[in-house]
Amino acid sequence: MRHAALVTTIAGLALGAVTALTLTPAIAQAPKSGGTLNVMLREDLAQGFATHETSTVATSTPSLPCFSNLVFFDQSKKNESMDSVVGELAEKWSWQDNYKNLVFFLRKDVKWHDGKPFTSKDVKYTFDMVREAPDAAAKLRINPRKDWYANVEHIEAPDPYTVVFRLKRPQPSLLLMLASGYSPVYAAHVPAASYRTGCVGTGPFKVKEWRKGEFVEYVKNPDFFVKGRPYLDGLKYIVIVERGTRTAALQSGQLDVAFPGETGRTSMEQLKKAVPTMVFQPVAQNVSDNIIMNTKKPPFDNPKVRLAVSYAIDRRGLIQAAHQGGAVLGAAMAPKPYGFWGMLEKDLLALPGYGKADEMKDQARKLLREAGITPQNPLKVEVGVRAIAIYLDMASFVVNELKQVGIEGTLKQVETAQWHPMATRGEYQMGANLTGLGTDDPDANFYENYACGSPRNYSQYCSEEMMKAFERQSQELDIKKRVAMVIDIQKRLEQDAPRPILAQRLDYFAHWSHVKGLVAHNNVYNFPRFTDVWRDK
Amino acid sequence: MKNYVAQRLGIAILTLLGMSIVIFVLLRLAPGDIVDILFSTGGYVNADERKAIMKELGIDKPLVTQYLEWLRNFMVGDLGKSYRYDQPAWDIIRPLIPVTVELAALSILVAVCLGVPTGVISAVRQDTGLDYVLRVFSLAGLSMPAFWLGMVIILGLVSWLQWIPPVTYVGPRENFWLHAVQFGLPALAVGYRSSALIMRITRSALLEVMREDYIRTAWAKGQSERVVIWRHALKNAILPVVTVIGIEFAFLIGGLVVTENVFNLPGVARFLVQAILWRDYPIVQNLVMFIAVVVIFSNLFVDMLYGFLDPRVRYGS
Repeated sequence: MRHAALVTTIAGLALGAVTALTLTPAIAQAPKSGGTLNVMLREDLAQGFATHETSTVATSTPSLPCFSNLVFFDQSKKNESMDSVVGELAEKWSWQDNYKNLVFFLRKDVKWHDGKPFTSKDVKYTFDMVREAPDAAAKLRINPRKDWYANVEHIEAPDPYTVVFRLKRPQPSLLLMLASGYSPVYAAHVPAASYRTGCVGTGPFKVKEWRKGEFVEYVKNPDFFVKGRPYLDGLKYIVIVERGTRTAALQSGQLDVAFPGETGRTSMEQLKKAVPTMVFQPVAQNVSDNIIMNTKKPPFDNPKVRLAVSYAIDRRGLIQAAHQGGAVLGAAMAPKPYGFWGMLEKDLLALPGYGKADEMKDQARKLLREAGITPQNPLKVEVGVRAIAIYLDMASFVVNELKQVGIEGTLKQVETAQWHPMATRGEYQMGANLTGLGTDDPDANFYENYACGSPRNYSQYCSEEMMKAFERQSQELDIKKRVAMVIDIQKRLEQDAPRPILAQRLDYFAHWSHVKGLVAHNNVYNFPRFTDVWRDK
Repeated sequence: MKNYVAQRLGIAILTLLGMSIVIFVLLRLAPGDIVDILFSTGGYVNADERKAIMKELGIDKPLVTQYLEWLRNFMVGDLGKSYRYDQPAWDIIRPLIPVTVELAALSILVAVCLGVPTGVISAVRQDTGLDYVLRVFSLAGLSMPAFWLGMVIILGLVSWLQWIPPVTYVGPRENFWLHAVQFGLPALAVGYRSSALIMRITRSALLEVMREDYIRTAWAKGQSERVVIWRHALKNAILPVVTVIGIEFAFLIGGLVVTENVFNLPGVARFLVQAILWRDYPIVQNLVMFIAVVVIFSNLFVDMLYGFLDPRVRYGS
């Protein structure tokens, strides 16, 4: 009996091993060192390598290989959450004083690309600068993420390898924000402005050349703190502005890896047909389509009108028409299984606009009637939209949907240069918008996009009650309770409808099959660092 | 002749001065500036930070001061600093110029090699089947935008050969053949369109000349067709063709935007569009001035060529 059990166990283990080897060849294969990869870039680096001065992937993504964070999202895991945070410059960390102090213990073997040693001074310098501490040694020209660190009271560097973030109140989310691709550590001995033209980092690759408008070339950092990494000798991010040419370059093998967020469903299907061996990883972008309505100006100061707009737009229709199925339903946070804080589909169906299209439109008409808007007295609105294809498809669909409930919308195309100033100043009625989240975290989203006075709260929405709710969830240490609070907030936000979410975009991240060890994330902002990526060719 | 050249140069300088004012004013009339764009990538606006950046870039000064400063620096060869890249504008512009000039020159070469012979054949064989075929060929060229043809070439190559020309610039010394392919294909796409125009001008000018008395005299004297057409007729018909070639070359320097984008060539036109979108005034102003200089001097060159090609112009002056 015992013998039979032993045989069964051994057979089971052997079968398991064979299955694992068959199903995960990339893991089973020993990584090879050498070679370079050509990576797609849609536009030139918007602000050089100055990640702290930008909110665009055009800067942050091609800068990732140069930098390291204190902590980062595990590059081998698709889903990002508290559990997938791993140390980079920090060997370990510890929450103390009931989540009011976050202590990082730093690596001792790290050198900057110019050979100088990395110490706690660099960490303090970086985050004092970003949070604009009164005694900060430097100032950023533009500081879009100052609000992320509003709860940090003080940063201490008691010795060269220890850093303490002292908080005003408990905030578990701080760790996630520090793990974002937008939170690299800068060198204290290099002027912050110099990152606009070059990069001194501690990351796995060093910048060899940045030819403006053409490419950014990296070479392996021989002093990288993880021994034996990176595997690749180099990387070349090639700027190709024309979309058709980008796809052709990937298809012809001149590019090995696509840009995160680049490959929609239609492109994926075309590429798959042309190159059957190409690898596609379906992931969420953590970018939502949404409608912004100016809550400070009529008619959208009336919650009924906002809610009617939300009811009027058929989410499923949008996903099929504008995204060819390459998006999913979701509220303010990315839905499960793509995100940690999102709502389940059955809960989403109860939200305004998520049900059956006909019933939702009837509801919209009813609300509009209650607000005094009738076919005899129709509502005429200008729908502002950035003059970019990925915005326009969605905006055109929205205008058509609004027309069906008696809202006569006209598209007003706005050049990128004008879009954010216009939205921030509230010089618009309604807009078709995209919102990306640097990290799948409620604090990063709620404080940035829905908090009173936030410059990126384009709807000018301000609710004391919701502010209290944001604060409560932010301090909650029990994760189950916090998830419940976050879901409740999402429901209430959709009911108030300052920024109804229409869909969460998907990406079919593409690369050639010889690219190994590259795992796409459910967030376009936090990969790839390329540390563990190798070339099997 | 010296007076003529001096007069033309004087006009050229005045034109450039006028152009500089037009460029400067138009750029400032466009809504938004570099600071708006910087904030756009940051996704928000902060009034204090905005003021500080405007001061840093010198765009808080009165417009007249800004213009005079730019003009003074331009005269002494200082093109200023790119707002976006924080680097001397000349360092950024310099490598772009040879790419665009080479592409434009190759395109014109293709256009002339295709356009002039087909125009001549079409005129000589007027109303024959061959004439109709060549006219359809040229009309097709005029109807097809170069960027569309370029994209068709790229898509065709990738579909049939799984290959496209290099997407990063390959220098002629690095790999001559690859360089030739990289520039040859876009030159074909652009040159075909331009050749259509040259063909039609050549045809109509030649048809007009062929009806002149001196051509009839040449035929009557028993001259061969080759001599009558190439020596007598074409020489007199070529002036409008040269004008068109000059205009086309000047047009191509600034008009290759989409072709440079499709073939991913790092030229002036592609970069200019990016710089306009970024309101990178020093880059835009200087690139447009460069294009203006090319237009003015290529016209001047064509005018000079008239004197060389047509003795009547020479003797008249």
